[in-house]
Amino acid sequence: MEESTIEKISQIVGPEYVSTREDVLLSYSASASTGYDSVKPSAVVRPGSTEEVSEILKIANDVNLKVTPRCGGSSLQGEVIPVEGALVIELMRLDSFELHEDLRSATVGAGVTFGKLDKLLKVCGLWLPVYPESSLVATVAGNVAVNGAGPGSTAYGCIAEMVLGLEVVLPDGRIIQTGSEANPNAPGPFLRYAFGPDLTGLFIGSLGSLGIITKVSVKLFKRMEEFHYETYGFQESEQAQKFLIELKENNVNAVFASIYEGRILGFFMDMLGEEYHIPEHDWPPFTVSITLGRLREDQLQSDIKRAAEICGGLEGEVIGISELPRGEWDDRMRTFARSSYAHGWHWRILYHHQTPSNWHKSIEAIWDVMDEYALLGHTAGFATGHSSYNFYPHLYYFPEDKEEERRVREAHVDLSKRLFKTGAVPFKLAPYWVNGVDEMKEYMNVLKGIKDVLDPNGIMHPGVMGGL
Amino acid sequence: MTTMESGMEQLMEELHQCRRCGICRNAVYDARGFDGICPVYENSTGFETSFMRGKIIVALALLNGELEKTARNSESLFDCTLCGNCTQICPAEFEPAHTLELVRGLLAEVPNQVREEIAHKILSNNNPYEEDNSRKRKWISELGFDIPTNGEILYFVGCTAGMRIPEVAKNTAKILKAADLPFAVLQEEPCCGSVLLRTGKPEAAAETAERVSNAIKESGAKKIVVSCAGCLKTLKEDFPNKFDIELPEVLHILELADNLLQEGRLKPKALPGKNTVTYHDPCHMGRELSIYESPRRVIQAIPNVNLVEMETNRDTAMCCGAGGGLRSYNSELAKNIASKRVQDAIDTGANILATACPFCEHNLQSGAKIVGRNMPIKDVVSLLAECVE
Repeated sequence: MEESTIEKISQIVGPEYVSTREDVLLSYSASASTGYDSVKPSAVVRPGSTEEVSEILKIANDVNLKVTPRCGGSSLQGEVIPVEGALVIELMRLDSFELHEDLRSATVGAGVTFGKLDKLLKVCGLWLPVYPESSLVATVAGNVAVNGAGPGSTAYGCIAEMVLGLEVVLPDGRIIQTGSEANPNAPGPFLRYAFGPDLTGLFIGSLGSLGIITKVSVKLFKRMEEFHYETYGFQESEQAQKFLIELKENNVNAVFASIYEGRILGFFMDMLGEEYHIPEHDWPPFTVSITLGRLREDQLQSDIKRAAEICGGLEGEVIGISELPRGEWDDRMRTFARSSYAHGWHWRILYHHQTPSNWHKSIEAIWDVMDEYALLGHTAGFATGHSSYNFYPHLYYFPEDKEEERRVREAHVDLSKRLFKTGAVPFKLAPYWVNGVDEMKEYMNVLKGIKDVLDPNGIMHPGVMGGL
Repeated sequence: MTTMESGMEQLMEELHQCRRCGICRNAVYDARGFDGICPVYENSTGFETSFMRGKIIVALALLNGELEKTARNSESLFDCTLCGNCTQICPAEFEPAHTLELVRGLLAEVPNQVREEIAHKILSNNNPYEEDNSRKRKWISELGFDIPTNGEILYFVGCTAGMRIPEVAKNTAKILKAADLPFAVLQEEPCCGSVLLRTGKPEAAAETAERVSNAIKESGAKKIVVSCAGCLKTLKEDFPNKFDIELPEVLHILELADNLLQEGRLKPKALPGKNTVTYHDPCHMGRELSIYESPRRVIQAIPNVNLVEMETNRDTAMCCGAGGGLRSYNSELAKNIASKRVQDAIDTGANILATACPFCEHNLQSGAKIVGRNMPIKDVVSLLAECVE
């Protein structure tokens, strides 16, 4: 990077917030994506405001400098690995928080983690009821950029469903506000679908390749305090799948619901069973682990009763072991960090969404690939929103074993193709989901057109979104 | 494979345990009492190298040759208090702060003037203050009673209490005297070597450990009482684990005072005025040795004292900034960290910030100056000594 460019950026943020030191560049060459190669940027900058981000992007655009936005660095699919020589714009200093209690919403800067926000909201009896399992590290803005989900999503949907508006800095430095706040006279964020097309949605899941999200306005809800933790057993996967669908149909409020098949549950028990104090049990072939949540005790009791009836109607059994769902729910802010340490290996992950009725198709594809490539792995997941199910299969490898790592990478791509055929969809549009996939050609052409208009010089995190 | 090689291999394996999740940066985990993790991240420009995730990336690169072993490239590894808050929250099967301490030891060839000077001073003078070591007993002349150099209970004074904050030493002596416990203080007390270990000078630390061990043996001690958290951790844990040196029982004066109060051998009078005290857990005493309740029980045993807790306390307490050699290596950063901790204390409404380590006390006093508020920083030992005969 040109010295003059560094100098200009230094003048914007102050020299102490720009670094070209070798050790610093190295530390920004990687993230929690252990399965991805590190790539060194040429500089790192830590702006302190939206305006500073804007000024930096103007300079980058002028000199055609590639940029990589980064928040918590907790993403697992290489989302913040820079391209060679890029400028990393790290947003953790943007830590503003504005509560709009009457509007049941809040606006947070790109550096605010879910853990921090949760603490701020708790004192008001509120919550943002979607917790990515990296909540102690992940920022709300980062999670919006990757289109994430987590515990709470079973009832409330993915993080996208929580978004009321975004403040975004475009590649040329223009600052735009989406949603109701596009009207500067608006009292705050109260409606996402304002002023025609949903521009907010354009940036959700765009991985920072269309612009840099500097603020997120989110819906807030009254914080639930009434929970019930239960496990339900089934002999057939179809019964477990149907159970999830019927809970939705009957408005039984599961805030977190996961289907475990035997092998996966065994793996999970090895990992966290002792810590969660889950008793020894002869688990059925399919176990559904559920946290029911309600604002009121009477509602909760009604849900408990109805869930048991639905379970019985599907020839299932109420197992009565609460420690598994309780552990999942209580540990919801850091489960990702915990699972990262299973077996002490490195891993690749392949987030995707499936329908509950197709749950078994993902499972079959995942096991087939693991068997064929002779890999260790597992998959977990949870129901998300209206009628989807989030999967996150892990493929493990020993970091010193290059051949095994090669197999993992190959299996990872292969699995994405197989999952696509089952009808699964990614929320991170990685190149491997669309490369060579004829059915996605037109979609990608349109997306490329949008990218070209917003980012004609192609400086914004090139390649991260479907290779664009 | 040599011992050195196998040690290096094990260390690399430990460093590889990090999955770079980043939970060691600034996690706010209200359910577990964490409100931030890394004091260096929070009080510096906050690049990734400021907290443990980045430090581990740098350490690996330095050790595997990817990064040249220069003072500049290894700077971030010394900008750390080793407070262990990251270890407290880390889900991996290794202890990041302990590992970083070992890494420092393996980077012997990296030029680091600060640690070289400290090591030279300690090895030459038996203290890091370049003073005549006999001054470690100078405070005794102000007590009004003499203390022998041999005895079954040995008060190991430590360099900072002995030479910089003699009030702590005098008050420790007063408490022991009030409980009618005969005790000794070494004629020539060597430095425990804590700072040598923390800054990566294990060979020098081994040398001082030998000196300490010999001096203690000669004193006839059967029980060692300390008033410094650093001395406590070093004598109690590092000596046996790192140097295979078994000492007699080692305990902090506040652990002993707690027992004495419970036995009725110490009967404190009321502390004059209205006293709301908040207690700062020294990292070496708290997170390292899990001594959380003794100091609090001592505070609560003093009539007319109300104990209030800071938002982060016990195993999630934010650090005062003094440890890990940071006070010497980057004193401005250390003092800024202290100022944040003093602010934490102010936020409780307390009118006294108490601790149990002269190192913490000294740094917190610097922090109070930065904050510009009158917040008396006192050792719990001094609070108790005010109230016992």
